[in-house]
Amino acid sequence: MLLAACAQPGSGAAPGELPAIDPAAMRGLLAASDRPVVVNVWGSWCVPCRSEAPLLRAAHRQHEDDVRFVGVAVRDAQGPAQEFIDEFGLGGFEHYFDRAARVPADLGGRGVPITFFVRAGGDEIRVHNGIIDEQTLALGIDELLRP
Amino acid sequence: MEFSLLAAALGVALAVYVVLYVEGRRGNAANCTRDVWDATLTAALGGLLVGRLAAMVLAGTNPLTHPADILAVRGGVDTVWASAGALGAFTWLGRRELAALADAAAGAALAGLAAWHAGCLVRAGGDACLGTPSGLPWALRPDDAPTGLARHPVELYAALLLIVAAAAVIAWRRRRRSPAGLLGAAALASAAGARLATEPLRLTIGASQPGWYAVGTVAGIAAMAWAWRHARCSR
Repeated sequence: MLLAACAQPGSGAAPGELPAIDPAAMRGLLAASDRPVVVNVWGSWCVPCRSEAPLLRAAHRQHEDDVRFVGVAVRDAQGPAQEFIDEFGLGGFEHYFDRAARVPADLGGRGVPITFFVRAGGDEIRVHNGIIDEQTLALGIDELLRP
Repeated sequence: MEFSLLAAALGVALAVYVVLYVEGRRGNAANCTRDVWDATLTAALGGLLVGRLAAMVLAGTNPLTHPADILAVRGGVDTVWASAGALGAFTWLGRRELAALADAAAGAALAGLAAWHAGCLVRAGGDACLGTPSGLPWALRPDDAPTGLARHPVELYAALLLIVAAAAVIAWRRRRRSPAGLLGAAALASAAGARLATEPLRLTIGASQPGWYAVGTVAGIAAMAWAWRHARCSR
């Protein structure tokens, strides 16, 4: 049980802070998910992330029943990251904190932002490095939702 | 690749310039005192700015407090507001000779729009062209698609429709006299109609806006009818 608790992402986060996550915990989260997952890697300092945030929020509103949206803040500080979430109304996502950006590296992405599309059960199907546009995001989600 | 959008924009500018150059050599744009190229390009840039600002405001981002975000065009441009901005800028620039200027720019504008849609080929490895699943022989499969589903190349459909419309407008202008403003109105109807026709095949995030494309199509057809009735030769 102790080992299982340690594998939970975000265990030990202070109130008001984004829970920390490492590559093993992220892989566990993805493998355990019964819904497809869109993982967006972002930073409050990243202008392209600001630009795609409203699109991701709209996608979340449209697909929140079918798709799980997970944000991972990288190379960031807790305060600015929380302000970013509040500013763009991204509170509906699950957000985690990965200061060293080990999670995106482990999943095979590069740079910031990155968007991963992962099937229920943890099979990654698409990676989009860089800012994502509407067509590419819509296509990735549509691929996730088809059998 | 982050510069793929810029490449698509350069494709638009090239298409507009080539059509205007060819038409100008044939003497077809000679009755406009204002440089058609300047007006078309300025209207396109104005529309882009208005569409980007509208997308930011509608998404809850204040452009005044985050001016750098305006440059991140890939984050979204509201098509309806961009169209309205471009038409507004074009109307203001050509206010003294709007019908003649619209006729002179019609073919080039349609060619530019076609190039914009075809620019999907350089975005996201061509996946930005794709829409809903299709069993048609020319349907395309996205890279790394686990479903193996082929999809409508919906952006290429739009590009094809616009190329056909551009060719028709250019041929009409070359061979026949037409009432002033007729070809400009036909371009508006064609551009909105191409978008309306392809909208059901697109994948979108948020609400689709077919109503506004229908309004654009009807407005273009109405303007064509008006130009025909008030026939004043543009040459």
